[in-house]
Amino acid sequence: MPELELDLTVNGRRITRHVDPSYRLLDLLRDDLALTGTKEGCGAGECGTCSVFVDGKLFKSCLMPASKAQGTTIETIEGLSRPGELTPVQRAFHKTGASQCGYCIPGMVMAATSALRENPAAGIEEIKERMGGNICRCTGYTKIFEAVEIARDVIAGTLPETALNPELTKTSYIGHNTRRLDAPSKVSGRLKYAGDMEMQGMLHMQVLRSPHAHARISRIDTSKAEALPGVHCVITCDDVPGEDGFGVFVHDQPIMARGKVRHVGEAVAAVAADTVRIAREATKLIAVEYEPLPGLYDPEEALRPGAPVIHDYAADNVVKHIPLRKGDIETGFAAAELIIEERFSTQQVEHAYLEPEAGIAYVDHDDVVTVISPSQNITHHRHMLSTIIDKPINKVRFIMSPVGGGFGGKEDMIYQGMLALSAMKSGRPVRLVFTREESIMASAKRHPSRTSYRMGLTKEGRITAVEFSMLSDGGAYGMSSEGVMRKAAILSCGPYEVENIKVDTTVVYTNNTPSGAFRTFGGMQAQFATESMMDMAAEKLGLDPFEIRRRNMMKAGSRTHTQQTLNSASIDRVLEAAETASRWEAGPPNVRGANRSDLDGPDTRQPCTLGARFNEARHQIEKAKVAS
Amino acid sequence: MKRKMRGRGVAASWYGIARTATIDRAGAWAELDDGGTAKVLTGVTEIGEGILTLLSQVAAEELGVKPEQVTIGDNDTARSPEAAHAGATRQTYMIGNSVALACREAKARLFDEIAQAWEVPVEDLRSFDGFLWAESTNKRITMEEAVALCKKRGVVPVGSGSFTAHGTGLDPVDGHGSPWQAYVFGTQVAEVEVDTITGEVQVLGIWAAHDVGRAINPRGVEGQIEGGVVQGLGQALMEDYQTSEGHPVTHGFAKYILPTSLDVPQINSVIVEDPDPLSPLGAKGIGEPSLIPTAPAVMNAIYDAIGARIRDLPATPERVLAALHEKRRADAQTA
Repeated sequence: MPELELDLTVNGRRITRHVDPSYRLLDLLRDDLALTGTKEGCGAGECGTCSVFVDGKLFKSCLMPASKAQGTTIETIEGLSRPGELTPVQRAFHKTGASQCGYCIPGMVMAATSALRENPAAGIEEIKERMGGNICRCTGYTKIFEAVEIARDVIAGTLPETALNPELTKTSYIGHNTRRLDAPSKVSGRLKYAGDMEMQGMLHMQVLRSPHAHARISRIDTSKAEALPGVHCVITCDDVPGEDGFGVFVHDQPIMARGKVRHVGEAVAAVAADTVRIAREATKLIAVEYEPLPGLYDPEEALRPGAPVIHDYAADNVVKHIPLRKGDIETGFAAAELIIEERFSTQQVEHAYLEPEAGIAYVDHDDVVTVISPSQNITHHRHMLSTIIDKPINKVRFIMSPVGGGFGGKEDMIYQGMLALSAMKSGRPVRLVFTREESIMASAKRHPSRTSYRMGLTKEGRITAVEFSMLSDGGAYGMSSEGVMRKAAILSCGPYEVENIKVDTTVVYTNNTPSGAFRTFGGMQAQFATESMMDMAAEKLGLDPFEIRRRNMMKAGSRTHTQQTLNSASIDRVLEAAETASRWEAGPPNVRGANRSDLDGPDTRQPCTLGARFNEARHQIEKAKVAS
Repeated sequence: MKRKMRGRGVAASWYGIARTATIDRAGAWAELDDGGTAKVLTGVTEIGEGILTLLSQVAAEELGVKPEQVTIGDNDTARSPEAAHAGATRQTYMIGNSVALACREAKARLFDEIAQAWEVPVEDLRSFDGFLWAESTNKRITMEEAVALCKKRGVVPVGSGSFTAHGTGLDPVDGHGSPWQAYVFGTQVAEVEVDTITGEVQVLGIWAAHDVGRAINPRGVEGQIEGGVVQGLGQALMEDYQTSEGHPVTHGFAKYILPTSLDVPQINSVIVEDPDPLSPLGAKGIGEPSLIPTAPAVMNAIYDAIGARIRDLPATPERVLAALHEKRRADAQTA
């Protein structure tokens, strides 16, 4: 392959390099110059984690061919300050707690630095607009805005530099805003996530994934791939020495497809090679013969008699059904003066952590199979892997690397097994880094749900009975589905004491992308329905929405939907706190938005109308017009 | 109807802390180290929520050192005790309490030796922020000196801790059981503006009141609330993973729409503290619960603004316009 000669300045140093012409600026920085503070989040210019300065302008380095960087001056996060020092922007991020997982933060710091370089007096609307190309999934942006405003004022000298100092305490570190210990490494880009790590002799893995939603595999021929120079090993399910199968509750998923594929993007085979490019070429040389099977794409169809069966052990396609029964709903509905029946649905949701899945595996000098990855559950993963590779627990080691966002999406062992097998087979360390597209198609999502709801109430607004039925699409594998259904059922009817309930939550297999653990684990889907019902009931009964909730809320001594007696329940306190803080104007929820007096307070933001970054220029033009 | 309509809605919520319907457990080791520093080993690392900082605060408070003097060992199944998974709003509750217990044991070892060396009752000893002293005396040394004295007497001040949360399974027929020993509650109010021509919804304000038991790092709690609210807002208004016959349609961030800086409301957090009586720290958790009330509060606010009820998430501009159209049709029929 012809190489490209580049001559450029990076962080103040002249650099001359021969690189692969297909390189992006991002690859040059990360792979050739070891400047791993610049992260890859999406590879498509959508997320901003790879932001750098090119000749002083903010650029997404994943969109720039390395060849275009010839002769330019590049500044990365590593170049903003000398080692051990932080800029005011970085110190402000540390001060406010603006970094959480930290993966977006180098890009965020670059964008914030750019905003303040472009306009040192930028107002909050302009700051928001200038940072609009950088996604953060953890922080809700609020502490980031706070940091940029503090940094702006410190740089301008209108706020003393002491504003960046830590808060002191003379009495206790509990209840104290101790600054995050990990923030300096995150705001400076020094922290190494799994995809930033390298080992001597490390190979690169690429995965061949299923193009079919449901198909039988009749043959896999890896011979051509294995013959490709630079390839060290190819693995399939035949390389699993032990009992194949993982999952959080039911071990229904093989490390790589075994006999059939159940969703688009399921791993079928994997290659470890000298470079990512060779590994990718090799996956194209693996011949897989598929016999397509009828697919299931709707959870209601999955329950129909005669529906295709996704897993042999579950002929009815039901992963789990959780029933709750308390009191007698017939009696409860008979006592009701108002009965409301509604249906609700929620969508499938992607975790969208900015760090795509990544990991390194190796076999150490004591024959310990070691996997370094941002796994949210290394304890369970080592149990499962020891069974899968047939080794005692103390010969399996999982190290949890810093997690660039998880939200439940990194609880499933969807790639660590492949890494372990290829390290065992090749005898070399092996690294795998997902692309964003791979991450989206191969990782679990929030369960989409359909809920039928029937609620009975007295005229006074007391709930007399609830009948609640939720059907969820679990997709191709069980993952956390069972637990999600359990939590959805337990929390279903909300923080209210209801004497008579009948709750059913059911999750089924389909050939859709699997659903799994996601922040709230079913609690959100169920309570969205309940809280919508509460407002519909309040409108019909002419009650204030806080009032109807108070009339039903749990108290110390209340029996929950699973008949547990509560020692305490702070629902009264949080209702009051929200009501007071929001200056809530009492009244029934009967579309009184147009007449409310509590709107548009100082504790709301202004509606967004794009163009704030042009305000200064507009102002100058207006002034010039007046002057002329 | 005006083009831009505003409204407000509220939603309440509840959540359980740590693993569901099972006994949850976590372990930790602690050592008061040379120089008055401390080592804490536990099977956990940061997933972004701030757990390392929180554990350093807990260790500092329990041992009497500064948070920056605490080193938290890496999460490694071959080198650290089991602390299990980073999820289920269990980190503060499970790991925080096991670290507190481990530190108490290490400190007790140190205090026993110092009390004997000083010939004072052990109950009179105190330590905070790098110093150790005996109440009602002028005996006061640095933690560095205290650790050196302890070691000179032949004792390394180490400790271990294991914390248990006693959940029980659910009955398979009627579901009765006690899935958690600690519960939290939350309430959020949302204020929205709906553009009745484009169907776009902007969330302008969120007031989020959440019980966290005890806020070990209030700023960290706010960060969790703000992050949860914005994920909830994404689910309420824009995020939608779609497949067609099993094939992902929204396969990148160009198609899968996420909240950006321009979508974020002003978030007003109110931290409510109802301490947990069953654990040393009294803290409960906030990671997951902060997301729950956002979407229903926003849907209730949209209804308050335009009188159209969104039952199917997300409330995209297309859905909002369809709901408005349906409402106008129904209003015309009844008129």
